[in-house]
Amino acid sequence: MGCCFSAGSNQDDPKKPLIPDPNLNKIPTNGSDRNADSLPSNRTDEQALLTTILQRTALNIIDVSAVISQGLEQHEYMDRARQYSTKLEVLSRTLSQKKPVSLPSLTSQPHQVLAADLVSYADVQQVSKIAAYAYSAISQIKVDAKEELVVQFAIP
Amino acid sequence: MTTALTQGLERIPDQIGYLVISEEGVLASAGELENDEHTAGVIMQMVRTACRFKLHGTAEPPFKRMSVMFEDYVYAVTISGQKVFVVKRQNNQREPVIV
Repeated sequence: MGCCFSAGSNQDDPKKPLIPDPNLNKIPTNGSDRNADSLPSNRTDEQALLTTILQRTALNIIDVSAVISQGLEQHEYMDRARQYSTKLEVLSRTLSQKKPVSLPSLTSQPHQVLAADLVSYADVQQVSKIAAYAYSAISQIKVDAKEELVVQFAIP
Repeated sequence: MTTALTQGLERIPDQIGYLVISEEGVLASAGELENDEHTAGVIMQMVRTACRFKLHGTAEPPFKRMSVMFEDYVYAVTISGQKVFVVKRQNNQREPVIV
């Protein structure tokens, strides 16, 4: 996992709090670069704080490269496949029991309705125009990418 | 049975063919639509799709008649008593001439 580290001005005061001061950009490293000035009593507090920050970051950030490299073991793959197919069987049983939708009745006077005046030419023209506008509007829908979707964590 | 269904359709002005279709298949056909199972199938699909449009979440479909309009003719479609009635009529309407 990539992390950021900022040197800041943390060399002078070992008791300076990490979290309440956002201006100094104190984000934890893997714990390998420890500040030599920290007193032993502060180490556990610091470690706990660092761990919470690390956990929060891990929760909020999606590491895209990690997702690609993950592979499933053969037995785990088979287990999952079996699980999914049993679930599907249960669902398909309940679905097939639904009866097909019957035709609704639109009128009790079909001959009258069908013999009535046809849709006027003006109405057809108007509907065609509206449909053309709608088509034109839909064809103009596009994604407006404002910023990068994937960013790299880099150690400067 | 079919005469009761088709008598009214025969008398529709400028009709050039009709179909009466049920869930099982074509019950009656005449004129230009005689034995036209292909058109019957297409129209059944269109009507089932149209029945799925509901306005403001009401239960019934929001239309009484569906018209498929071509240059010179129209298919007028409605549903009554679990049967789909289709009539092919001449479309004589043109752009109104302003005198």
